[in-house]
Amino acid sequence: MSASTSSAARPPAWRPLLSIVRYTLRTSLPGRRWIGILAPCAAAILFGALSRSLGGDLEAEFADMAGLALFGLVMPVTCLVVGDAVLGAEVRSGAFTFTWMSPVPTWQIAVGRWLGGTAVAAACLAVAFAASAVVAGAGSHAGPVALAAIVGTMAYVAVFVAIGCVAKRAAVWSLAFVFLVERLLGAALAGIAQLSPSWLARATYVDLADAPERLVRDGVPHGTAGVVRLLLITVAMLALSARQLHRLHLSGSSD
Amino acid sequence: MTDHLLPPPPPPPPEQRLDPAFVTDATVEVRDASVWFGQKVALSELSCSFGPGVTGLLGPNGAGKTTLMRAITGMLPPNQGQVRVTGLDPRHDRAVHERMAIVPEDEAVPRGLTPRQLCEYVADLHRVADRSVIDWALHTVEMTHAADRSMDGFSKGMRQRSKVAGALVKNPLVLVLDEPLNGADPVQRHHLISLFTRLGAEGRTVIVSSHVLNEVEAMAERVIVIVRGRLAAAGGHRAIRDAMDDVPRQVLVRSSDPRRLAASLVGTDAVGGLRLDGDDLVISTVRARDLAVALPTHARDLGVRLTEVRPLDDSLESLFRELVR
Repeated sequence: MSASTSSAARPPAWRPLLSIVRYTLRTSLPGRRWIGILAPCAAAILFGALSRSLGGDLEAEFADMAGLALFGLVMPVTCLVVGDAVLGAEVRSGAFTFTWMSPVPTWQIAVGRWLGGTAVAAACLAVAFAASAVVAGAGSHAGPVALAAIVGTMAYVAVFVAIGCVAKRAAVWSLAFVFLVERLLGAALAGIAQLSPSWLARATYVDLADAPERLVRDGVPHGTAGVVRLLLITVAMLALSARQLHRLHLSGSSD
Repeated sequence: MTDHLLPPPPPPPPEQRLDPAFVTDATVEVRDASVWFGQKVALSELSCSFGPGVTGLLGPNGAGKTTLMRAITGMLPPNQGQVRVTGLDPRHDRAVHERMAIVPEDEAVPRGLTPRQLCEYVADLHRVADRSVIDWALHTVEMTHAADRSMDGFSKGMRQRSKVAGALVKNPLVLVLDEPLNGADPVQRHHLISLFTRLGAEGRTVIVSSHVLNEVEAMAERVIVIVRGRLAAAGGHRAIRDAMDDVPRQVLVRSSDPRRLAASLVGTDAVGGLRLDGDDLVISTVRARDLAVALPTHARDLGVRLTEVRPLDDSLESLFRELVR
């Protein structure tokens, strides 16, 4: 190779991580994905308007609506769209080769993709949830619902990134996780709910907003304990992703 | 004169003769590698090695070339056997990727990126200090003019060249190219062949797959032929060409007087069979080289003008199949 050599210093060790985050933000969210992200966010605001139309105690109505629709539907669907986009979709298309064929440790790849995805999803959901609270006439809930959305999103995106590393049909498995495991089994089994980002984020919101306790599933930790558990889920899922990236079979889009 | 007086050196004992599938200075070694997907066997106990220079990986579509390349780069683990690149396992030692690059055949490129951004991304992942290598790589594949355009609208050939640029940024010791000439126009094809030949001459291990023998001949001195996941032949491209010359094939001949030409060719040693299909003369032969000599001789003697002569086995698949019989 006849490229000129120079005495420039080697970029720092964190450079690849930063580059992966930037790459994720640039490439993973084309137009159609944005529709999948913004449509649920718009729905969140509509849910706020619907809650207001019910009348009565606006804050209590919004809390019910947030527990059911925002944390139970809007947040998982948005995170699913983003979480699949940042890794699973690229693995399926074959473009992940450019990242995988590098000496970058797999944990950096997993964390970089997660950071990029979380930044997008958390920003969209926090704004949409806060707007929903304002539209619902429960302005005092805007901060708590946005904060709970951010911590819930961190865990959710990590879960979907991990599913993208484990399963070929990541989107299908992610949907199964949300609707069968979290919603169905989580409603019946406290043990599942205690490990569900949806239930934990909801408990965090209830604690921050002083919302009715009845919205918290039995056995699901409140407040700081809930946030810590969400962080633990995030770390565990990222560790699983890093491990699975080592074992990934990159058979290309044609296979 | 002294040469005639000295006895020729004795041939090495059989066990010391190097199997043409192996090289002495191997950077990539494949030992008894098998890969299967469910019931389908993609590679079957394949052993070979690759060293500095360009090695062509030849075989029909579905032969297992891409699977072998993915196994070499660690993208797929062999179900049996092993792969080593500079002595390391590419599945488990990510340091291998520091100096190894692949240009995959599929058209997938990161959405929305320009070739320059792709090169910058690769350079960042490899912590390349000298950023001028990005411009050099783009210039080398003649993509400077389109370096800042999104790859989404690129043709297959332009995407391939962008991916080659991304691979060059790594300054790879081992470069794996899966059908890199697909989609390239003749000028680009020539340019890429020169580039790969030059990279091989610089001491890099360049592995290039193709299902077109002429392409492989143009850039690789050594060829490995894979058919149905098995090693079918290995060695210099002349040896491979010779092996292929003796297998049955059909040749289409168009001329000013096909009937007279056919009558003249009947009984010729090189001709196994003849068929007149309208004005097309189809000749079956197992001795293509002899036919190549006999055909113009007969045409000249008869005063018949040849307008077209071409093999009907374009894909070479029938020839590949003969190799593994």
